[in-house]
Amino acid sequence: MYSTVVVTGLGVVGPHGDDPQAMFAALMRGESAIRPVFPELAKPAAAGTAAFDVERWFTKLQLPGVDRVSQLAVAAADLAMKDAGSPADLDAERVGVYAGCGMGGAAALEAAYRGNGRVPPLTVPAFMPNAPAAHVAMRQHTLGPVITYSVACASSAVAIAEAAAAVQRGDVDLAIAGGAESLVVPGVMLAWQAMMTLATFAPGEAGRAVRPFAADRTGFALGEGAAFVVLESAEHARKRGARVHAALTGWGLSCDATHLTKPDAAGQARALRAALKRAGLAPGDIGYCNAHGTATRIGDVVERDALALVWGDDLASLPVSSTKALHGHLLGAAGALEAVITVLALEHRQLPPNANCDAPDAECALNLVPARGADAPALNAAITSSFAFGGTNAVLLFTRAES
Amino acid sequence: MSTLKELQDLIQTKFGIDPATLDENASMREKGFDSLALVEFLFAVEDQFGISIPDEYSSIDTLAELVAAVDKIKAEKTVAG
Repeated sequence: MYSTVVVTGLGVVGPHGDDPQAMFAALMRGESAIRPVFPELAKPAAAGTAAFDVERWFTKLQLPGVDRVSQLAVAAADLAMKDAGSPADLDAERVGVYAGCGMGGAAALEAAYRGNGRVPPLTVPAFMPNAPAAHVAMRQHTLGPVITYSVACASSAVAIAEAAAAVQRGDVDLAIAGGAESLVVPGVMLAWQAMMTLATFAPGEAGRAVRPFAADRTGFALGEGAAFVVLESAEHARKRGARVHAALTGWGLSCDATHLTKPDAAGQARALRAALKRAGLAPGDIGYCNAHGTATRIGDVVERDALALVWGDDLASLPVSSTKALHGHLLGAAGALEAVITVLALEHRQLPPNANCDAPDAECALNLVPARGADAPALNAAITSSFAFGGTNAVLLFTRAES
Repeated sequence: MSTLKELQDLIQTKFGIDPATLDENASMREKGFDSLALVEFLFAVEDQFGISIPDEYSSIDTLAELVAAVDKIKAEKTVAG
């Protein structure tokens, strides 16, 4: 008999700060954290950068070789463990870290390229993509599996799914699962601009630049931050008297195997169905979808089509929003941040808005959460989707703690 | 400015360590400088003094040893220059 996996800790350090409740309230108010960055670049750029006081987490002597992406990870994981009640009496060998990271320490690489031949000696350990997970392990002194998942935009959703599977199998007693990404440096910004996926915006309009599912959408803005959850079996949580935020009852992974960057509705639908099946729920049981919703021309239509394939006639009763409109796309950390938001939506029984969508695209016909947000007094189950370059799709399904 | 004072100032700026708490003859490793912090510190010292510290100095453990090394490298550079 497999055990139920529950979420007992939430930690974020992101564009809306490091307090999950304050972040959720800001999202409900429709507050965008996306601001102009790098005015020196030829093309206007905007991003959601993390408000972060590094000295709260590191002395200067601890910082050599620790890129900002690892700093954010250490802070968010520590906040998640504190939120979980700083569990004591753990067998450290049975605690694991499952972390998503798309790229690694971009600031370290940027400094190396820009150093006119003077390359800092710790560039390699700073930028390696598994550094965030390793730093979390050292800070929390976890001795079990410490694994990094680099699956582009699905990295941290995959990490959480893998952690849940490990908890359910009994491989670990407790998992610290999530992800971190910090790519807001000029070089990476130029690369994303070259890819033609970033939102364009007029001066003063950065906060409205990202318009998921809207007829006038033009793409996403980069976001930066880290988010972690603490997962354990319901029995383990009960034994130590932990507060349970929600249960992680379903997860689904699939690959399109069709194209490196073009999304595929059939592939996404397979991940959606897999998550429902694992949770033993029907589409009509799901009361909220925190969409991948990157606001690209093609991505939003394909995601709508995937939801339509699985939900069929029930699609109109599924409230959908993409909170990327407000916090940006955290890439490797997106799945984890949006998992935290989805858990908070379940706890509050409130749905954050699909912001900046004055005129929805007819090709994205969905029951979009209005700009003021929505109360959802009967909400019992919610999903969050992450669809990656490379074709990997990840869906997490959470249910309310008592249901 | 003496080499020692310059190094102490650099340690203060870079690592936030008050020079008064760092005995120049004490092991820097025992003061919390791990191998990564030391390697990054030597990189900063190179920048500060415009010198290149050869690998043979990588086992330096005290501030006094570092002062001696920097002064020696600077002197050799002046002669060679």
